[in-house]
Amino acid sequence: MAGCPRKESAHHRNTARYYFKKCMFMTTHFFLLGSPLTQERLSWIEESLKFFFVKMYPEMLRHHGKPHDNVFTFLINGDALYSLHEPETQKIWEIILLLPSVRIICDRQELDLRGISVEQLKMKYPDQVIDHNSMSLNGQTSFWRDVVKIARQHEQPVPSTIGYFHLESPYMHRSSLSAVQCLAAALEVQAGIELYAYMDGIHIGHLGQSPTEYDNIGKGLEDLAELAAKRNLHCHMFACTRCAAARGYSTWDDGQGIVISTCTIKPFKIRNLNEMIARFGRNHLILGENVASIQLKRKAQPITLAEPDKGHMPPVTIFITRFPYGTEYAFGALSFAIACAHNGILTRVIFIEEGVYSVAGTHQLSRDAQCFNLQEVIDVIAGSENLHLYVFQPSLQRRGISKNKKMTAVLDIGVAELGQLFFNPPQGIQANHQRILFF
Amino acid sequence: MGENQDIPDFSDLTCTNLMIRLKMPLKKTPPDSAVEIIVRRDQRDTIEGPFSRTGYDVKIHRIDTNLFRIRLQKQDTGADN
Repeated sequence: MAGCPRKESAHHRNTARYYFKKCMFMTTHFFLLGSPLTQERLSWIEESLKFFFVKMYPEMLRHHGKPHDNVFTFLINGDALYSLHEPETQKIWEIILLLPSVRIICDRQELDLRGISVEQLKMKYPDQVIDHNSMSLNGQTSFWRDVVKIARQHEQPVPSTIGYFHLESPYMHRSSLSAVQCLAAALEVQAGIELYAYMDGIHIGHLGQSPTEYDNIGKGLEDLAELAAKRNLHCHMFACTRCAAARGYSTWDDGQGIVISTCTIKPFKIRNLNEMIARFGRNHLILGENVASIQLKRKAQPITLAEPDKGHMPPVTIFITRFPYGTEYAFGALSFAIACAHNGILTRVIFIEEGVYSVAGTHQLSRDAQCFNLQEVIDVIAGSENLHLYVFQPSLQRRGISKNKKMTAVLDIGVAELGQLFFNPPQGIQANHQRILFF
Repeated sequence: MGENQDIPDFSDLTCTNLMIRLKMPLKKTPPDSAVEIIVRRDQRDTIEGPFSRTGYDVKIHRIDTNLFRIRLQKQDTGADN
């Protein structure tokens, strides 16, 4: 598609608009992106979409296939919005928007806050670039209302629950406000809410938050719990035990999975990661700062209270995108992947972007080091049931590095294999969607 | 507890770290040898099911109210028979 002659664009765009209008209410795949969106990330997303259309649904590119229900929606908020304006990423967006049935929904308030204009893109793709949001119950427009509307399409007749996977601390990161706003929008559509706080995300539930120049996130969460109770909707807020203990939250532990903290807000429960992962085994939608959901070609499963059987658990694909060691992201991602696989969820880990440094070179730790050698962890978890490890070759090549030869359990993949991992339903999986989590 | 003093005590580890720490010696141990550890009740549950399912013989011995000694050994697959 990148090499398409320019003169084809208008015709192509018209076809795309046709499909888009036809498919307005049939969103099947979406990316919810809030962190800065680099040229590298947007490029591999673009390549994956091209794989989808060229290899899997070429009839959509040839314009004479039947109207399709495959639609990609990019829900863009936070610093990811800059990518719509910066020249190097804007041109990749233009290529993405040339593909059939792609649309972008921007967070209007966040655009205004940053003074970013998307007019240039909107002029070219007026039906595909949406920079106004739906009206919320409080009479204000809300990006999260739109996000939740899309989430509703994933489960029929309506979602019973919307979850939010949160990784960052409040006040340092605006994503904490997104978590509260997202869950508030979920309550508006009568969905139960679940918050999963992991790594620094657990600070979101600290007691006694008192910001002077920012929305009080702790109070926001308490209000959500209260509102959910009033509406008779369920509300669970889980924090990972390991992350909580490391950060000094676990003040009493019964040794059997119950940890009581004197420094968290009341709705916040510190629980074994397995308990949180058990929720990931259900088929509700889980949102977050940087996530995606890919519809698998299966019939939607009815929501039940019964424990999900393993084939119906949505598979999880984890992108490890950051350098190892400097932050907890890489280890946190691996740890999360191990827990998912251990709980019977098909889990794929893809080392990509800066994350490829986890599998490059030979890592050595001093004998008295308390942290894990990530390569040693990868080595011991290799071959685990339900767990598959991959490294994205183009990310290695871009950095002029190669995979450690001993890491044979980490399979090399390129664009085509990445596309297959994204869009081909794994064998034996009956779930209606695949969760994608960016770490 | 005297007979258990040389057995690694993993009772302070969270579940995922426990799995990693446990898999490290299991990977290095020859198939005819066993790995023993001491864990809490909730950790016992974390280990018992998955390792039994994936070809390990899991033996559990209670040593205190909330402490268990677990012995894991790769099951004989009968390939030599």
